[in-house]
Amino acid sequence: MSQSARTASSVTPSRLGARAAARPAARPGRRRDLTALCVVSVLLILAMEVASRFVPPFIMPSPLVVGQAVLELLTSDWHHVSVTLLRLAAAVGFSMLLGVLIGLLMGTSRRLGPYLNSLVIIDTGIPALSWMLVAVFWFKDPEARIFFILTVILLPFYALNVYEGVRSMPKEWVDMMESFRPSRWQLMRYLVIPHIVQYVFMTTKSVIGYAIRMVIFAELVASAVGVGSRMSLAQSTFRIDYVLAWTFLLVVLNLVLQSLLNLVERHVLKWRAEAKVR
Amino acid sequence: MNLTAIPTTTTQGDAFIEMRDVSKHFGDFLAVDQLSMTVRRGEIVALLGRTGAGKSTVMSLSMGTIAPDRGTVRVGGVDPSREFDALRGKMAVAFQTDRLLPWRTAVENAELGLLVLNHSKSQAREAALHWLARVKLEGAEHKYVHELSGGMRQRVSLARALAVDPELIFLDEVFSQLDHVTSQVLRRDFSRIVREVGKTCVFVTHRIEDALDIADRIYVLDAPARVCLALSVSEQTRRDPRALADLHDQIAQAIGGDTESPGHDPNHSENQDPS
Repeated sequence: MSQSARTASSVTPSRLGARAAARPAARPGRRRDLTALCVVSVLLILAMEVASRFVPPFIMPSPLVVGQAVLELLTSDWHHVSVTLLRLAAAVGFSMLLGVLIGLLMGTSRRLGPYLNSLVIIDTGIPALSWMLVAVFWFKDPEARIFFILTVILLPFYALNVYEGVRSMPKEWVDMMESFRPSRWQLMRYLVIPHIVQYVFMTTKSVIGYAIRMVIFAELVASAVGVGSRMSLAQSTFRIDYVLAWTFLLVVLNLVLQSLLNLVERHVLKWRAEAKVR
Repeated sequence: MNLTAIPTTTTQGDAFIEMRDVSKHFGDFLAVDQLSMTVRRGEIVALLGRTGAGKSTVMSLSMGTIAPDRGTVRVGGVDPSREFDALRGKMAVAFQTDRLLPWRTAVENAELGLLVLNHSKSQAREAALHWLARVKLEGAEHKYVHELSGGMRQRVSLARALAVDPELIFLDEVFSQLDHVTSQVLRRDFSRIVREVGKTCVFVTHRIEDALDIADRIYVLDAPARVCLALSVSEQTRRDPRALADLHDQIAQAIGGDTESPGHDPNHSENQDPS
């Protein structure tokens, strides 16, 4: 819908039908993105094919060999994929819940806020590798290690973005709500929490690729099950076709998760008007 | 012509808002200076003044969102800042900007105050739909904020304020961001509804035309906020273009200088009878 249609000065309902008919046409943009993705993918496969003709197979196998490896992995190693996905879901879900809670407290509690803020800032300065090594000392159970590593790495992203979301909330909205004299819980329920939903989506979309990389890395050092451990095995048995096949599957997994997130986001945040920038 | 200078305070028992010798500083800045005024139940009172005259501060003092440094403020018999929750559900505000929550549809925005006041979801929805219809928004109930025009958004904002069935409604420059025609249509619709339901209304504006169009009484504020002129405006005055023009000039003079409202044309007032 054009800006002029959106801000038409008419206040009579008679024009509502016409305005409703003019919905934003987001589909062409999505089709363009998909086309670009296909073109880039085909170019990369072609580059692989060309490279495979000039270097030995243990450096760059042909895309066909990698394709066969993908099929093999999908039939034989599905269990490892599902374990990795479960670990990812559990850690992202928990980090989201705890991160949102901490972010809300950072943004709304005068007493706790500064302390939590300091804690989160310190956490962001600790390298992921340090957490991985520390987790090996602290936890015997591989699941606990991976869960801990992912949580301490992902949680600050949620906490800081939600905190920024609370801080960026227009004061005008708070004043409007205060005019009805709401309880603290009502202010959270009707204003703060709906407002930060978009920040939670933004954070999840930003961290999902990073989270996949981290879970693979954590599995590599802390577990005998999961995609990371299988990649480690492939590397130690000189199966670069398997390494590339897993890499391909992880890229696809990231794309699928991003698409699912976009789908859910479009549904949940359907109230948002998409701005068109020339 | 019915032009009557009135005292800024009254001892009448039907006073809903009473402010006596109220002063308010923000740091070194004096925003309100020994202001005294009264708003009686069921009347529409305009607080008129230049930008920066402290009108919105006076409104905030009446709402209880800020406390005076000196003087007393009583609303419905209570101190609105000290007994903040005592006025829960008894007052509502429509602001200069619509302040609609973009993730809520028109009807969901209109029912917001009722939900905060712990009405059931069905009651709140019913009341919100009723008030959206009263402000002429049938068919737009389920539209999101970005799908509504500026005038429609302000109508939702007014429906949100009216839906809680408040005793007192504050309007803070509600019509000033709209174009002249939309503003005029909207304020007359609002004035008609408020008079029908018998609410008390405090209407903050910097536009003389807006105040003359709907207010029963007008307090003209100087900066820092203090009453420099208090007038009553009858329906008879509103129908008399010459009286209206005189009143306009008198207010403009009190405010100081040329304050001709955009689009104001007293000669046409006779054809724009709000009743």
